[in-house]
Amino acid sequence: MKKRDSWGSRLGIIMAVAGSAIGLGNFLRFPAKAAANGGGAFMIPYFISLFLLGIPLMWIEWTLGRYGGGFEHGTAPGIFHSLWQKNRFIKYFGVIGIFGPLVIFIYYTYIESWTLAYSFFALSAKYSGLCDQSAMQSFLRGFQGLEHNRYFNGISTAYIFFLVTFILNIWVIYYGIKGGIEKLCKWAMPLLFIFGLILLARVITLGTPDLSRPAWNISNGFGFLWNPDFSALKSAKVWLEAAGQIFFTLSVGIGVILTYASYLSKGDDVVLSGLTASGTNEFAEVILGGSIVIPAAFVFFGPQQIKSIASSGVFNLGFVTMPLVLNKLPLAPLLGFSWFFLLFLAGITSSVSLAQPAVAFLEDEFDISRKKAVSIFAVVTFILCQPAIFFLGRGVVDELDFWGGTFFLILFATIETILFAWVFGMEKAWDEIHKGADMRVPKIYKFIIKYITPLFLLSILVSYFWQKESRALIFMKDIVLENKTSVLATRLGLLAIFLILAILVKIAWRKKRLELEKIR
Amino acid sequence: MRLGGWLFLVLSWAVILGLTIFCFIKVFSKKEIK
Repeated sequence: MKKRDSWGSRLGIIMAVAGSAIGLGNFLRFPAKAAANGGGAFMIPYFISLFLLGIPLMWIEWTLGRYGGGFEHGTAPGIFHSLWQKNRFIKYFGVIGIFGPLVIFIYYTYIESWTLAYSFFALSAKYSGLCDQSAMQSFLRGFQGLEHNRYFNGISTAYIFFLVTFILNIWVIYYGIKGGIEKLCKWAMPLLFIFGLILLARVITLGTPDLSRPAWNISNGFGFLWNPDFSALKSAKVWLEAAGQIFFTLSVGIGVILTYASYLSKGDDVVLSGLTASGTNEFAEVILGGSIVIPAAFVFFGPQQIKSIASSGVFNLGFVTMPLVLNKLPLAPLLGFSWFFLLFLAGITSSVSLAQPAVAFLEDEFDISRKKAVSIFAVVTFILCQPAIFFLGRGVVDELDFWGGTFFLILFATIETILFAWVFGMEKAWDEIHKGADMRVPKIYKFIIKYITPLFLLSILVSYFWQKESRALIFMKDIVLENKTSVLATRLGLLAIFLILAILVKIAWRKKRLELEKIR
Repeated sequence: MRLGGWLFLVLSWAVILGLTIFCFIKVFSKKEIK
């Protein structure tokens, strides 16, 4: 058995987990959700969810990961098996912890490559002449290969940037935990915060750029996002949106934190490190994410248009509204570059973390070298990325995002919380959390982890089924006829990936059992 | 922005800054991982 990789420093793993959590959603999804769900009042369910759902899940995943690492397991099948050795089937539930990140990686890398492309476009002033929403939308659609127009004549530019981004990801993963991921996160995260603070300073000092419209000022821009609407708190939807936002922003339920924490030693702290990673993510989300896009867009588009902009979706906010806003400012190329490169750094620190569970699974359970594991991962994911690129407008990405990036995440988090608090047992779990801990978790969290967090997760899971949009997606109701084939093919493809992973788990366990019998 | 907006902004920023600063001070004053 070869020696497992490890982290070089405590700051390294904190930055890596924070980097995994901080993604495009912190800067684009959070402000849009807050603005649409009660403004400042949204922060009440948001903080309640952070302390009752997000932080407990962080601690659970860090602890489970470190525990599994002690048994030479870096992914959920092995970790779940270590927790409940008597159960032969529990390892198959752990497949979700490899499946989820793999599926997200397939489409996330492509979206990440857009941010790299737009960083380049910003510096080279490729979109500088565009000054309205429809022109910028057309530019984006041309780039994505969804239409042929005067800006782009096909998907080749997007594909080149995808190749560069994909190779960069593989290169980082190839060098391992300490030599690749930790090194990347240790310079990328501070750089991300520098770009974020530059943009924050620029937005705060916008004042009233158009004196003929005195109400279009930065104070009112912040007011659009932060003025509380307490009536929103009566809506169950708002509470669920807040819980969902906390869940997705902290990257819990994916399986990535389990894998990262498995490279810790038995006596390493997880309480303070997990809390620090959560705090860092919240800084990026609330302080930076809540102060850039929406307030800046308000100043230039006014109180009427901002409502439709805020609800226009993540891609529209990031790739259409923000470049238009930044185009109106002095030093537009540099500010545009800061915005898109910030998103790229947020993206690459997340995508490398999404790749790690699959690579760790091959290394740990099949005892193959990192070089070989990364090569297999690169070939397989490169092929799997192609439908997301070439069938972007055919509902493929939405389908991947729903199953890999939403449904299975909540299911996985529910399973691991129940396993941790109820199967492993709360007393044992409490001792495990505190091994090597640099601070004590308040005792109330014993009750929260055992009862509140699982109930919270179950209510999110049920509500997702209850939502009309989710049911429509599951039963393919609102999908236009021409997209049905590609959506169905994606669904079958996902099923195939899941089954292949489950078979690999079976093979790995059988191989290990035979090896053990030989030794005996 | 109304007073309520400022209140929520300041409180939210204070909670998050407080949490982050507290954590990092503790992280830098404690032992390294093994």
